Amino acid sequence: MGTDQKTPIGSLAIDRSSPPAPGEIRPFHFPPFLRRFLPCGLTVLAARFPGVPLINLELLAPAGAQLDPPDGEGLATLTAALLDEGTAGRSAMEIATGIEQLGGYLATGADWDTGYIGTGLLRRHLGAGMRLVAEVATTPSFPEEEIARARQQRLTEILRRRHSPAVLADEQLARAIYRGTSYAHSVLGSARSIADLGRDAIVDFYRRYFILAGSTLIAVGDLEPELLLAEAAAAFGGPPPATARPQAPAIRPAPLPGIAVHIVDRPGAAQTELRLGHAGVSLNHPDFMALSVLNTLLGGKFTSRINLNLRERHGYTYGASSRFAGRLGPGPFVVAAAVATEAAGPAAREVLGELRRIREEPVALEEMEETRSYILGVFPYTLQTVGDLAKRLEDLAVYGLPDDYFNRYLACVAALSREEVLELARRHLDPDHAAIVAVGPADLLRPQLEALGELTVTAPDS
Amino acid sequence: MSLNPATDLPFTCHQLGNGLRVVLHRDPTLPLVAVDLWYHVGSKNERPGRTGFAHLFEHMLFQGSQHVPTNDHFRYVQLVGGVANGSTWYDRTNYYETLPAHQLDLGLWLESDRMGFLLPAITQENLDTQRQVVINERRQRVENQPYGRASERLHELLYPPDHPYHWPVIGYTDDIAAATLEDVRGFFRTYYAPNNAVLTLAGDFEPAAALERVEAYFGEIPAGPPLPPLAPRISDPPPLGAEQRATLEDDVRLARVYMAFRAPAYGDRLWYAADLLTAVLAGGKSSRLYRDLVYERQIAQDVSAYISPLEAISPLVVVATARAGVEAATLESALRAHLAHAAAAPPTAEEFDGARNRTLTEYYAGLQMLSNRADLFSQFTTYFDDPGGLAGEAERYRRLAVEELLEVGARTFIETEQVTVAVVPAAS
Repeated sequence: MGTDQKTPIGSLAIDRSSPPAPGEIRPFHFPPFLRRFLPCGLTVLAARFPGVPLINLELLAPAGAQLDPPDGEGLATLTAALLDEGTAGRSAMEIATGIEQLGGYLATGADWDTGYIGTGLLRRHLGAGMRLVAEVATTPSFPEEEIARARQQRLTEILRRRHSPAVLADEQLARAIYRGTSYAHSVLGSARSIADLGRDAIVDFYRRYFILAGSTLIAVGDLEPELLLAEAAAAFGGPPPATARPQAPAIRPAPLPGIAVHIVDRPGAAQTELRLGHAGVSLNHPDFMALSVLNTLLGGKFTSRINLNLRERHGYTYGASSRFAGRLGPGPFVVAAAVATEAAGPAAREVLGELRRIREEPVALEEMEETRSYILGVFPYTLQTVGDLAKRLEDLAVYGLPDDYFNRYLACVAALSREEVLELARRHLDPDHAAIVAVGPADLLRPQLEALGELTVTAPDS
Repeated sequence: MSLNPATDLPFTCHQLGNGLRVVLHRDPTLPLVAVDLWYHVGSKNERPGRTGFAHLFEHMLFQGSQHVPTNDHFRYVQLVGGVANGSTWYDRTNYYETLPAHQLDLGLWLESDRMGFLLPAITQENLDTQRQVVINERRQRVENQPYGRASERLHELLYPPDHPYHWPVIGYTDDIAAATLEDVRGFFRTYYAPNNAVLTLAGDFEPAAALERVEAYFGEIPAGPPLPPLAPRISDPPPLGAEQRATLEDDVRLARVYMAFRAPAYGDRLWYAADLLTAVLAGGKSSRLYRDLVYERQIAQDVSAYISPLEAISPLVVVATARAGVEAATLESALRAHLAHAAAAPPTAEEFDGARNRTLTEYYAGLQMLSNRADLFSQFTTYFDDPGGLAGEAERYRRLAVEELLEVGARTFIETEQVTVAVVPAAS
């Protein structure tokens, strides 16, 4: 039997008829971190994270895919992918074997805003990890044979992605809402752009954008922050480079004239990938924090309006969600669901209806409070791992946010009113100027979707 | 030496009068508590013609119970900033919440209500909706995914038709569509009883007080009947005797080859050896298959190898995706040569050390989230009646010798006991 001590029988009587009262709330504070500038121009953010004996190191350079030249789509991600494929002192395989032998990993890559070098390994290998990140960041050699190999691998990857319905849907949506801007392309580039990228373009991109001045190193693990800083200072020496960092081009998509419907035809497909979206706002926009409340209520949690509608009320889908993607430029607002093909039209109408409704009537008091307390309550849950904390510090670095950003965010969520949510919905949701993308059998989709707006049908390979 | 809850993994274990086993793991680092409930039932307990039922049933457990209205399970959890979900696997079904620590009682209330008071809330309407949700889940995960049917075919060929690992956990569409309310009631009465469950709490709570609350919420739920026996020879199906092959056409541009073998059950000494062997073969860029197929010969786009932790007999699977224009046969012969080598010679000391270091780092990484830790305690208690087995996991890798990787390679990689599935681009 359970308890060792005698329990008075009265305390066993419980009331099952309603949720139990909570106990006493326990405080949570965002973990403290140190910020230091090194003479080479690199900023270091270091934090202790107790628990397992692992450390994460991430070097972030403002070298993201938004900087791809018009004729060089995929250049940022290809350059970043090649950073660990050979350095002044070691070959690609020597680098990989060195880190993996210690039980760690090394990953390099780029997203829209950032080129990154990340490693995770056991705490006792901190020095080796720090030297590895510095080696890969400052002495990549871009050997011709590795470039040829990476290019072939990338071309194959682009080919493979033509057969993922979810990827086709995301890429078609980006083309529809970002026409004429950098966000219209895939960060991986196209078969044509990648085939044309040579060593000169890669080395030039690296020299321009992968410079330590303006970059940030995040170091998190179960070690004193001062020790993490000292190791960083030892690994990243030297004076700052004289060249100034070029400015990123502004991305200003034109609003759509109405609702545009794009069908990507996959005859005989078992299901339809549905997207509905339009351009949103930069993560640095003053409304961005508050938009997380609007979005969480609308499509950002299981009990959101869109998921309850499409999944629990209608059974159209296994799950539906929405998000405002946070980027330096105006990232997309997207609603996404994989739906039964015969339900694509009704599902799209339900989503449009939810977007219109939330612009017309204030949200109910109860769902407002539920959403608010969910966001506030779940925050410690999102900070359970070394990688979780590193990711938060990355956001501070990439978007130039103040050190107390997350406390400001929580305060913003706590103070937001239903009237402000209505205003946000009116300002930032635009169901009448949106793109709808459906990847599935065109013969079944066309009759369901053609009344919604101007319709085009394309093949996956076009 | 100071106690580190995340790596030293302290716990206490208790059993209520109705048979429910309770594991308590205190870690006050964050103001959170993970509530993790395992039922020892999965697709293994289904029968042909009624596949996918354990998983469909899992969906029904989120449709409310006597005191929790439909959809309010998630609502109550999210209202306090919690996160909840469930999952179904061959051998077990789990349900879990991570809550702010002061909301522990909420998790106990929700889980005990659906363990003890589910049936009054089950309706035909909810079942109809969830059948559609699950059929759409199957479309999304299997039918509308490139290569989506391959692993299903692999299991069908690796295990005979009456073996319960033969069919996919999510089940076949016709079987899902055929599920009735009576099936739901019968399954609940048979398998969802406290004597077939393990409850783990992990996080910031006082163990004595928490145990009192567990007793209050779960103690009155009656034990269930004895469980029906599993299919015979589940750990020891008749040998295949000859290689089993299938070629699937799919809407893909890159061919892919899967090879599967029957490998030791989870918990067996040689399961751990097989796990390290998969890391030698395909764990990271310095692994054999990556280095040879992807890096040097450039005939593969990616490679992977894994052994699933199944109770009766585990599948060990090796996968390679071809570069554009490379035939499946080319990949297949390259994989065969590597597997033959792994069956004939032990890894080098360097390969062995690297594989072990990577596996141990992943083990530590997996202990970070409270919900993972709780889930692992439940797993070791459900399968082995030994929550302390979790802390022993690192040691089971450390004490392996390189010869044991050869031993398991030689025992496993036998061509007449092999299943090969090639997925090739459909002729259009």
